[in-house]
Amino acid sequence: MNYRIGIDAGGTFTDFVALAEDHSLLVYKTPSDPSNPVSVLLDGLTGLARKAGLELPDFISRCAVLVHGSTVALNTLIQRNGARTGLLVTAGHEDSLELRLGHKEDGHRWDFHYPPAEMIVPAQRRLGVRERIIAGGKVRVPLDEAQLDEQLDRLAQEQVEAVAISCLWSIANDRHERKILEKAKQRLPDCFVTASVDILPRVGEYARTSTTAANAYVGPVLDRYLSSIETALVEQGFTGRLYIMQSNGGVAAPEVVRRRPAAVLNSGPAGGPVAALWYGRQLGYENVISIDMGGTSFDVSLVRNGLPDVVDQADIARIRIGLPMVNVTSIGAGGGSIARLDERGILQVGPDSAEANPGPACYMRGGTKPTVTDALVTAGYFPDTGLLGGRMMIDRTLAEQVIQDNIAAPAGIDLHKAAQGIIEVTAGNMVDGIRIASIERGYDPRDYLLVAGGGAGPAFAAELARELGMEKVLIPTIAGAFCAMGEANANLRYDAIRACPVRLCDLSPAVANKLFDLMEEEGRTALGVGAGDRVRVERTAEMKYVDQIHYCDVQAPAGVMDVPKLAQLRNNFHRRHEELYTYSETDNEPEIVSLRASIIIDTPAPTGAGPEQAAALNTIQAQGTREVIMPDTKEFQATPIYRGIGNETGRSETGDRFKSVPGSFSSGSSFSLQGPAIIEEETTTIFVPSGDTIRYDPSGFYLLEVYPRS
Amino acid sequence: MPAEIDPITLSVVQGALQATQRAMTTTMEKTGRSSVYAIARDYSNALFDWDTRMVIQGEDIPTHLGSMVLATKAVARFFAGEINPGDIYLHNDPTYDGSHLPDMCMYKPLFFEDELVFWVVSKGHMVDVGGPVPGSYNPDAKEIFAEGLRVPPIRLVDRGEMRHDVLNMILTNFRSRKYQSGDMNAQLGAITLGEQRLRALLERYGKEVIKACVEQLLDAAEAHMRARIRTLPDGVYHSSVMAEDTGHGRGHQTLEAEITVAGDELKIALASPPQLEFFTNSYRSNTLSGVYAGLLMWAQVQPPFNEGLYRPVKVDFGPRGTMLNAEEPAPHVNCTGGPQETICDLIRTGLNQIEPTHAVAGWNHTWAFNIAGTRPDNGEPYLDLLISSLIGGAGAVNNLADGWHAIGAQAGLGGAQIGDTELVELLAPIVVTRLELATDSGMPGRWRGGCGLVTEIEPLEHEMTVIAWGEGAHQPPPCVGESRYHPELFAAKVARGWHLRGADTLHEVDHNQVLTINPGERYRSQTSGGGGAGDPFSRPPEAVQDDVLNNKVSLKGAELEYGVKLHPETLEIDSAGTASLRKEKDQ
Repeated sequence: MNYRIGIDAGGTFTDFVALAEDHSLLVYKTPSDPSNPVSVLLDGLTGLARKAGLELPDFISRCAVLVHGSTVALNTLIQRNGARTGLLVTAGHEDSLELRLGHKEDGHRWDFHYPPAEMIVPAQRRLGVRERIIAGGKVRVPLDEAQLDEQLDRLAQEQVEAVAISCLWSIANDRHERKILEKAKQRLPDCFVTASVDILPRVGEYARTSTTAANAYVGPVLDRYLSSIETALVEQGFTGRLYIMQSNGGVAAPEVVRRRPAAVLNSGPAGGPVAALWYGRQLGYENVISIDMGGTSFDVSLVRNGLPDVVDQADIARIRIGLPMVNVTSIGAGGGSIARLDERGILQVGPDSAEANPGPACYMRGGTKPTVTDALVTAGYFPDTGLLGGRMMIDRTLAEQVIQDNIAAPAGIDLHKAAQGIIEVTAGNMVDGIRIASIERGYDPRDYLLVAGGGAGPAFAAELARELGMEKVLIPTIAGAFCAMGEANANLRYDAIRACPVRLCDLSPAVANKLFDLMEEEGRTALGVGAGDRVRVERTAEMKYVDQIHYCDVQAPAGVMDVPKLAQLRNNFHRRHEELYTYSETDNEPEIVSLRASIIIDTPAPTGAGPEQAAALNTIQAQGTREVIMPDTKEFQATPIYRGIGNETGRSETGDRFKSVPGSFSSGSSFSLQGPAIIEEETTTIFVPSGDTIRYDPSGFYLLEVYPRS
Repeated sequence: MPAEIDPITLSVVQGALQATQRAMTTTMEKTGRSSVYAIARDYSNALFDWDTRMVIQGEDIPTHLGSMVLATKAVARFFAGEINPGDIYLHNDPTYDGSHLPDMCMYKPLFFEDELVFWVVSKGHMVDVGGPVPGSYNPDAKEIFAEGLRVPPIRLVDRGEMRHDVLNMILTNFRSRKYQSGDMNAQLGAITLGEQRLRALLERYGKEVIKACVEQLLDAAEAHMRARIRTLPDGVYHSSVMAEDTGHGRGHQTLEAEITVAGDELKIALASPPQLEFFTNSYRSNTLSGVYAGLLMWAQVQPPFNEGLYRPVKVDFGPRGTMLNAEEPAPHVNCTGGPQETICDLIRTGLNQIEPTHAVAGWNHTWAFNIAGTRPDNGEPYLDLLISSLIGGAGAVNNLADGWHAIGAQAGLGGAQIGDTELVELLAPIVVTRLELATDSGMPGRWRGGCGLVTEIEPLEHEMTVIAWGEGAHQPPPCVGESRYHPELFAAKVARGWHLRGADTLHEVDHNQVLTINPGERYRSQTSGGGGAGDPFSRPPEAVQDDVLNNKVSLKGAELEYGVKLHPETLEIDSAGTASLRKEKDQ
């Protein structure tokens, strides 16, 4: 039997998922260790192999595809430990990277202690090249090659490992930039050299320069990491295909990623919406909101009409990255987020986190601050017998102690009220995160299915849904390894862009067709598929009204463009503007900034659980009860505890095949269970509030139906 | 009204109000037409309650905040008794507590269950509001009547119906009306979005709960400011600053404040010379913005920011007809820049002298230029305020941190934004030939002020008008404690402008001039750096070396201002030379 593997390396845990040909799922979660990612990789694969009842080499030889969501590039940027990088730009504009558009990030207007961003390329390695091209592509100052040689000598003296090149208006005329690229490669043959036109051919010098600099900065580090992973896998006998998860929600081969490392910066969380869509489609949903509650953050992403919400730029670790990335709203509401009373005595949770080390107090690793996980233990949501199938031990008294000392006593309230307060404030922050990802972008969450992932996400999900008026929550049995599941199921994807600054009325269908064709060809080449092979193409037009400066993304019609399709594009734009900003200007002419195309090869989706597994679902009996604080009455109530069906799939750690076991919760699709109830899966805990119902679906998830708030 | 709101509901409502304000701001940025809206973000949104108290002031542009507090009350008073659901009012005039004529402000009363519950307010800087000079910064104006169109509170939308004739009358008075027309649409979009959000909030939680939350948020902010004031010893303190003569010829003027600390309350009494026939007068609402900005730079409190913060602070603007309490017909358009910043300095330095532990030094004052002309390619007129020209250095934070480079001016505190060079060149027929941090511009200190910025532009094959306005030529921003710059480097630290008539012909220009730049010529502008904190001779030599390596300080600056000697070639620290320079200073 062959497997498709998804690996998601997060800050606290690394998650592993194996999807077998018979659609059974194996899952394994292990603590992350950024200093030794190869050992974590092998540990996880060993864990999966054991669950499959195989020796590691035998298991690895059956891994046909391995998709890796890596935080290496992101951490390099966050920790500022990338390559020693030089930057060559148009003379007079050496400081663009440091100016950061002269703006201090919002949220810090009155915060005078907020430090400036640390430069990835300091001024001493940002050198000007005498040349100038102006808007329209005309050369105003010819390239001074002698001066360029001097600057390259300086970079050589500076012993740079990577060089980024970004000239003004290279997108209109790339002659100078190409020449600089060529000479830099000659003069600095051992360097990672990258030019802005190859990374981000779009108007906007700052975003282009910054993205190119980041590309150079993480390039050598990512290259070394990929090589070490490839080597380790080959040594273990891996003969399948390795793919890397990209920020855009698709995967690409390591050789593509090596050239565009800036495209994998947000690769981890990008798995969330992919997984959410896969699950949502099992029930026919194309509109889903995915939430994933990890150790440090709570990540929200929206999928609309089957398309993940992809933004064209964002600041990552305070560096502007202008490449398409799945829009993930990340807020500091993870299991490790710390609760405190602020100076006004108001209870606040996050964004500070206890992270993996020391972690929540109840993990017994020396944590002294009350976290969300401690509140969940105190309130009875989490078992005091431990998490991850007992591999992660928990001490309830430590959880209670930190909440008592830090919240309950100073606020003059009892322990359980404090724990419930932490849970409610966290839920409030989560609701705000979902609002930012949906309502603030013009989408009503009531039109969406909520898909809840993470170790603690499903404990909150029902109340979040109710707060936002959402009716249904889908919870994968492997919710705790949600992103890894997304990675295992992600499509191959390449994003192309072409500047096309033209009023819509002046755009000829022939020009549009030519640009879309060129981009499709570029994508096919990058993905290594021929003209005859089947690919899916998603088209976007970046559009604005004439004289507006910012644009919004508008879905462009598929197929050969003609006059009616351009009219359709016009309508799409007006509608989108109104959706986002409450109004449109239908008497005003729209203008195109750029056209984009994403070339996608779909991964065939698994079709659900095998018949054997479905047939095994026939018993239902609680294992016992636990006292849990109810969100409505805020009182403890004896709550039935069920052992999750996901625990019964595959084989146990010892290799025994589970059949249906008395005392486990298992059921055919017709069965439903009433809250209050708690279902404990190996990687997650689901809370079903009283009044709500939940049922199991043999495709590998639960569906929770939420009663509306009165 | 419910007596007690639980902390969770309070927290959720606070978050929802903030999110509403943010969404309004996003709408204006994304849909605006002029570079001032869409790039520079020179606008502010705020939510006011039924009693026209500011509930959320947002984090947009500090120079707007005090004027919004007064203006919303003035507008509500003006229309008292005839405020109807669906109305939107418009106003800019400073005699009704507007900030200055270019700041057009919209006010929408929000009725819920037949009761006026909120005011949604949005203010933005229009790229032109008429008058004889493009951009409406007229250095020659002797009266407000010569500065642009004055709009007292008017009914722009009457019970849901736009008054198109009134709107047309206003836009007809503006140059390049297509920008302002688009910007006003953006503003209306922001107001509509704000109203929709608040309505949803009221429906979700009920009017009484929301009103109770508003009261608690105001009370909490007030308590926080009172606690902060209580840390100061009681007493009467004096502060004075120089208001530059930037072209009126009457010489530098002195602005004074008497700050009385009594328990948890502050009384601030301002005194200033008679108003001038020059556009640097400040009507009281703009003066209040300066006072509040100085207060918040000193207080450094946490959000939310609302009017409760200002309850313990009483402000006496001084006699009417003075520079800080101007009255008709005083010209004033420059007031939101330098004058507001100078008032901010007056209050901040006055409070900092009492307790300087984490005092923030001064940021650069606004010195900027507008450009105008006719595009050579299509003959259309263009008009732009080049935002990079006002971006300068932030002040250092005493005992804590160097100032940021290039996020000023103090009027914006980092909220404004430079246009991307390629976008700027798309919007106007110019070439940006230089955009770089100015070496030695940051004021020296143990904690160094941030660097100012040099902007240099060249018109593309046409004659370009430059309106250079602002201040900062005569004094760099104040430091925490003594200013310790070296006289030889004074010129590197102040705001300057040059007309480049040939490759090597730099002609320095006076402030507040209208210039003509011919094809082949250039205009260059430099903003000042931020103020420093502490003795520069105690700055670690490694930090000075790093500044030299990164062009923030010259070799000469390192020696003269920091007493640090570096090897001229290798830039290694010369320890003996440094010790000797620093010893000399001690003697």
